[in-house]
Amino acid sequence: MLILLFYIGDVLYSINCEKIREIVPVVKLKKVPQSPDFFAGYFNFRGIIAPVVDLCRLIQNRDCQPRLSTRIILVDYQFETETRILGLMAERITDIIKKPEKALIMPDIRSKEAPYLGGIIMQEEEMIQYIDLTKLPACVDFMPIPNNTVPVKRD
Amino acid sequence: MPVESKNCWKEKGVWGHGSPKCEYLEEVIHCRNCDVFHQAGRSLLECELPEDYMQEWADLMAAKKIEEQAGALSVVIFRIKTEWLAMRTKALSAIIDSEELRTHSLPHRKSPVLMGIININGEIQLYISLHKLLGIETGDQRQEMHQRMIVANSSGGKWVFPVNEIFGIYRIHPEYFQNVPVTVAKSQNTFTQSIFHFKKMQVAFLDDELLFYGLTRSVQ
Repeated sequence: MLILLFYIGDVLYSINCEKIREIVPVVKLKKVPQSPDFFAGYFNFRGIIAPVVDLCRLIQNRDCQPRLSTRIILVDYQFETETRILGLMAERITDIIKKPEKALIMPDIRSKEAPYLGGIIMQEEEMIQYIDLTKLPACVDFMPIPNNTVPVKRD
Repeated sequence: MPVESKNCWKEKGVWGHGSPKCEYLEEVIHCRNCDVFHQAGRSLLECELPEDYMQEWADLMAAKKIEEQAGALSVVIFRIKTEWLAMRTKALSAIIDSEELRTHSLPHRKSPVLMGIININGEIQLYISLHKLLGIETGDQRQEMHQRMIVANSSGGKWVFPVNEIFGIYRIHPEYFQNVPVTVAKSQNTFTQSIFHFKKMQVAFLDDELLFYGLTRSVQ
């Protein structure tokens, strides 16, 4: 499987490329008052309103640094019956690697607050945190979802 | 990973002239395979955002993606004197800045098309004048700023010719090609396959096979 690598602070994280629609540079976001602090805002992605979650805020409780390597990963996720997109902002998004499925290890210990964390990918001696995209949207579910979100068709 | 100075690839790597050479070169063969070089490249992305960067990208991302029609043809558009011409990118081998090139004329050759020979990357190629072959009228003789050499690839070999300007490589759908007026198409030396409009210009699309055939005949 293809895996996208990125950093949150000094910690290396990874997600599966399967659900990634596009990776875009950091754009000016429309902030929403009264929303959770990890919710960075909306932006117009080719006519679709895409919510963006700041992963640094969510995991390390500080904003992503404004750098050229800070980007937004647009992922598809299932909301009830329709596919929606979610933007994930993270730092130092520069590499994609290929790993066999068996490199992903799921330890038995799971955090209740962050069930999307937990998986580990072994890279030589290093361990890379794996973010489970099937569990992440549910954890940020209380963020406001615009009513006019158009269902996204996957090409 | 070797710990090195900040631009060791220019000092003792493959881009350096000095000796000693880096000891890791034997292992990695080229600096681009070396982690020091990788890290240096990545660190370029760690700079602050330029002004307006976020707004600019926000505007770009908001725009709808324009999907290109299937079956478009890639052409290189260039100018010789006053005429805008195009040919298939497939027939293009290279575009070279003409300043550093040396040409040699050939004695006892009277063909106006064959201007001589030219050294392209250590190989001798025929240097020809497309503008003489196509019979394009010479406009004013002012020195042009954007002169380039086009190296074209045909099955019989390479042809090098100067052009006054390269507009770029674009994809054009065959739907936009219009027929050449009959009076032009019937005249003897036409190499124009069709004409298309591109950014307010009329571009003549050259039939490269016919062109190379014409070139071969004119230099014999």
